[in-house]
Amino acid sequence: MIKIEKRNDVSPSIYFLTPILAIFLTLFGGGIIFYALGFNPLEALKFFFITPISDLYGFSELLVKATPLCLIAIGLSFCFKSNNWNIGAEGQLIFGGIVGGGVALLFYGHDGFYVLPIIVLSGAIGGMIFAMIPAVLKTYLNTNEILVSLMLVYVAKLLLDYLVVGPWSNPEGFNFPETRQFSESARMPILFDGLRIHAGIFITLITVFLSWLILYKTYLGFQIKVSGLSLKTAKYAGYKGKTMIIIVFMISGACAGLAGVGEITGPIGQLHRNISPDYGFTAIIVAFLGRLNPVGIIFASLIVALTYLGAETAQIFLQVPKYTGQVFQGMILFFLLGSDYLLFFKIKFLGLKKNEL
Amino acid sequence: MNTKLRVSEISKIYPGCVANDEISLEFGSGKIYALLGENGAGKSTLVKILSGVVRPDKGEVFLNDKSIKLNSPLDAKKNNIGMVFQHFNLFETLSVFENLSIDSDKKNEDLRLSVNNILKKYNFKIDLDIPVLNLSAGQKQKVEIIRCLIRNPKVLIMDEPTSVLTEQETEDLFVSLKQFSDEGILIIYITHKLKEVLSLCDEVAVMRKGKVVSVSKTKEEKIETLANKMVGENLSTIKKKIKNFKYSEEILKISNLNFRSDDPYETNLINLNFSLKKGECLGIAGISGNGQSELFQILSGEIITDYTSIKFRDKEISKLNPRERREYLMAFSPEDRISQAAVPELKIYENVALNNFKSSNFFEKGLVNEKKIKEHSKKILSNFSVNTDNVEMKSQFLSGGNLQKLIIGRELITSPELLVCFNPTWGLDVGAINYIHETLININEQGKSSILISTDNDELLKLSDRICVIYKGKLSKIMYVNEVTPEKLGILMGGGSID
Repeated sequence: MIKIEKRNDVSPSIYFLTPILAIFLTLFGGGIIFYALGFNPLEALKFFFITPISDLYGFSELLVKATPLCLIAIGLSFCFKSNNWNIGAEGQLIFGGIVGGGVALLFYGHDGFYVLPIIVLSGAIGGMIFAMIPAVLKTYLNTNEILVSLMLVYVAKLLLDYLVVGPWSNPEGFNFPETRQFSESARMPILFDGLRIHAGIFITLITVFLSWLILYKTYLGFQIKVSGLSLKTAKYAGYKGKTMIIIVFMISGACAGLAGVGEITGPIGQLHRNISPDYGFTAIIVAFLGRLNPVGIIFASLIVALTYLGAETAQIFLQVPKYTGQVFQGMILFFLLGSDYLLFFKIKFLGLKKNEL
Repeated sequence: MNTKLRVSEISKIYPGCVANDEISLEFGSGKIYALLGENGAGKSTLVKILSGVVRPDKGEVFLNDKSIKLNSPLDAKKNNIGMVFQHFNLFETLSVFENLSIDSDKKNEDLRLSVNNILKKYNFKIDLDIPVLNLSAGQKQKVEIIRCLIRNPKVLIMDEPTSVLTEQETEDLFVSLKQFSDEGILIIYITHKLKEVLSLCDEVAVMRKGKVVSVSKTKEEKIETLANKMVGENLSTIKKKIKNFKYSEEILKISNLNFRSDDPYETNLINLNFSLKKGECLGIAGISGNGQSELFQILSGEIITDYTSIKFRDKEISKLNPRERREYLMAFSPEDRISQAAVPELKIYENVALNNFKSSNFFEKGLVNEKKIKEHSKKILSNFSVNTDNVEMKSQFLSGGNLQKLIIGRELITSPELLVCFNPTWGLDVGAINYIHETLININEQGKSSILISTDNDELLKLSDRICVIYKGKLSKIMYVNEVTPEKLGILMGGGSID
């Protein structure tokens, strides 16, 4: 007979070490998969995880990918910590991109230092407004935020599709589904010549710091923590539950919107159909891998960003599809959830021993 | 039928606690045995060992001088040991008969015949074909008893059976138990209620900290002697003075309190009206599930209802949330310590910060003032004799009694004008109960008022100045405590009327 029991106390150090265990298990699992595909596992893993960041350009690419992932995951941590399941960050990212991109097109040909801040701000507001839809529906009509936020992802995607094909498409673009290239004033400054790393990384770092401040040092953060642990207690303490749901969704949406606008004004420079390789969904893995902790999320975003790069390298050198990246992301989540289960529960095998444990 | 049950040197050790320490006891049929002890004394562990739920680390159980192995509940059934747990194991939506047939290997017709015989023999009145959810707690318990009786038990173990029963139901149960005992069934009765031991049982074994501290005939015992054995020290009993509140200031007035819920598991409240004077304690009795939880939440502001008027010191507060009500010096201690009044995963000082009243300055300009919260928490820990001074400790490591002291302390350290508490001593040991009772009497003596919603009638009679009963969401008339008897309360709690 097998019996599953909750563990009474889990030490904090092991709590933060299990994500690392999950990463090693992922490497191991990945090795097995490569072996099954007929590759030398160690060599394949080297192509996947070491080659991409073995030069400066690769390292800059890592930061380029980690920048939006970290930003979105930080925003999501506000929602997840307070038991609000916003899984529509991808939609909020796209909508932020649409609003920011629209403003960028509006300023087409304008010069001036004010252009970029206005675009960035409008992108954040766009994401925020889009995230408020599931929040308001949840608080006033009791809808399920998981479904609403997820479905809105497709609304945003289709809207973007319509805009880049129709009204916003580049008049000189031979009907390609994309907008004009934004003016130089609407682009994130590049930090180093020849590398794609841009000023968006500072937005991310500032957001990480502010989030840490809010979550651990303010009344709002305390309320988020209590609500996440027990909604009944939050109600009893008199916290305004509805307002808080809306606030965490706004924060989370603004972060996703910032990530979106950072992408289109940074590495992309225009709007087209694929402004995000599912950053909004992958950030959910980042948030949990980083234990919803701002510092943890920084590290987690770097690791997950590496799977994006690794997939590209592997495609080139090993001729495997770039979707291997998603396989690795899936494995990270799988092993994380698996080790968490063993962390919080213990499995007892009864009947094997004569005396009970 | 002569049954002898003997446990010999039973030990069971859990990490950090010796639940049973070399326990040896002997029981013989024809008598009712009480197993008495505080929470955590090891009664439940012993009972679980006897019913095969838990296996002992050491020791043996003998039935009629034969050693028996109790590796699972099934083994207990095979050895004709029946057990009625405190919490019922019934499927609410299935009929009584369906519930009984689940773990019976008899054919349906045979089963019905034997159940009907049992019903007739013991004068139980239960419709076998209605869903269990329509039964009262007392009837549900009878279904559990019938389930045991079908198997012709030699031993019947009852775990705290009266905690959910009314006075009348308790009396009925005692009559049945005596009848079983006369028929030769050995009965072991687990309780921490001293009165029941004296009125029902023949012999009593007192347990404390995993050990049996005394075995004696109940004839030779009194409430005081048993209580002292149970707690291991001499308890001072406090009494409340009877006061006249005729000329005192009215502090709270509730009018037209109505509550309709969409949730079928909640109780609707129908037209409650009452008021409370300064320094007075109003007790609200009732069997759990008759609207107490809803009433508590409406008083605390967790539920806001339309058209209800709640006037606290002449100010209308019915639309305010719990935090805003605290600003008016109201305090609340909910029934559920672990998932509502406190969060076990949070540290003690964080749990203290849940009661964020304005003058506390716990959160200045939106920032956490950890130093202030910790200072305040230390004061609560020492003023309310919580057995730790470490405010960084997670609350889950506090015992029930100490957690309740922390919660009551957190609510009372602001000197509120009104404390609303709901089953404040539920599941606590005698020492902690005594402390909480003393505290509640003290606040009334300092001129502060309280509303005590409780399912424990002894507690209500001890602490209240006036008492009323809530039944199916309606309030009975309010009586002065000196005109109330346990019998009267019992009738009202069961839905009857008096006078």
